[in-house]
Amino acid sequence: MADSTEITPRELFERLVTRGEAPLILDVRNEDEFAAWKIEGPRPLAYLNVPYFGFIDEPEQSTERVAQAGDTWIGVCAKGDSSAFVTEILREQGMRAVNLLGGMAAWGNLHVPVRVDDGARGFELWQINRYGKGCLSYVILAGRQAIVVDASRHLEVYETFLRERGTTLVQVLDTHIHADHLSGGADLARRAGAPFFVAAGDGVGLRRDVRPLADGTELTLGGADGGAAVTVRVIASPGHTPGSTCYLVDGRWLLSGDTIFVSGIGRPDLGGQVEAWGGALFHTLHRSLLSALPDEVVVLPAHFASPAELDRGGVVERRLGDIRVASPELGLPTEAAFVEAMRRAVKSPPDVYQKIIAANLSPADVPGEQASEWELGKNQCAASLPAGPRG
Amino acid sequence: MEKTLDARGLKCPMPIAKAKKELEALGAEDVLKVLATDKGSVLDMQGWAKANKRINLIKQETETDESGREIYVHYLARLS
Repeated sequence: MADSTEITPRELFERLVTRGEAPLILDVRNEDEFAAWKIEGPRPLAYLNVPYFGFIDEPEQSTERVAQAGDTWIGVCAKGDSSAFVTEILREQGMRAVNLLGGMAAWGNLHVPVRVDDGARGFELWQINRYGKGCLSYVILAGRQAIVVDASRHLEVYETFLRERGTTLVQVLDTHIHADHLSGGADLARRAGAPFFVAAGDGVGLRRDVRPLADGTELTLGGADGGAAVTVRVIASPGHTPGSTCYLVDGRWLLSGDTIFVSGIGRPDLGGQVEAWGGALFHTLHRSLLSALPDEVVVLPAHFASPAELDRGGVVERRLGDIRVASPELGLPTEAAFVEAMRRAVKSPPDVYQKIIAANLSPADVPGEQASEWELGKNQCAASLPAGPRG
Repeated sequence: MEKTLDARGLKCPMPIAKAKKELEALGAEDVLKVLATDKGSVLDMQGWAKANKRINLIKQETETDESGREIYVHYLARLS
């Protein structure tokens, strides 16, 4: 990268996550946009926020401000054009400055597949990390068959991944009706001719084409001609949403959606019924997950709140038993105490979440530019008590 | 007088870079009307006017052109 003037989102991900670097970030968006959403790494990063119009009004002073803070920078803006303009000025002044191609828009759309299992079981479990937004989806492969869980609207990510591995998509699952991003599940399934399942909960107007799966259903993937097979068990887990569903892979990995995260739990207030949904979440967590599954089960959630949650292999995962010990939300003894704590823990969700929920229930597609705008920013799907221990 | 700067189809930083040039050529009583298609221009013009004490952002409007495209209209003047 030494001579280059640009860095791709994937290259920046490698530097931050794989190599554990902490480069200086020059963010040239306006202050509100910078405060709401920024580049983050597993290690804390140092930022300088100098809006690009400062380089139009007072190029010398703005450049001097940057020079005083460091001489090697990654320039970032909304779409990558203003930061290209700014990093060129910095290079003319003798600084080393590269531009993040496509800006935060491209950063929020980067998907990185990371292998979860150790390869010893004959099937493959992949976590697809949409790092900038903190969204996680999953691909399970066995005997040239595939299941995709919680696909984003970037269908080409999944279709390319499956094509490269010569597998056929046989089932698409969503853990719930997402509020922070548009689901690609229904479209991915339709294009592959595979069934799609998501549960919206009673009384919710789901207009997607869905083939229902009852609580406890076991799906089997692969197994033809004596090849490896894997089972996926459907576990109804209402709370974050009334239709939330977890999927237990091979009895060992829990694709937990927004029900339980590696540090925290899903917020039960997005439907405006924190009491009813919070009560359901309390019973799901204790009856259907914590007392029904062994501590050794590994939780693979649909989100992370901070890149610090990635483990050394770059996977967001944690033993259920470890989450139980570390999460104060799970120590609350009664439904009433839990609901009250949830009420206090959650802030108002972004207004756009209602639009995204409606779009995820509807068969109509949202135009790409509109979708990009709605999806800006990091997910806000967790409810976490502020004083809790974090690991 | 009012002058119109057509910055439709231009990516940032061009709408603000061009607006600055135009404003420098205008008198203190003149108004510059900037047409932009980049939605980011709405917050950026506000941020610019806040940071630059010589820029007065008079008002902002959103219009729709014949093809249904959203046009962000910014009215600017120079403060001396």
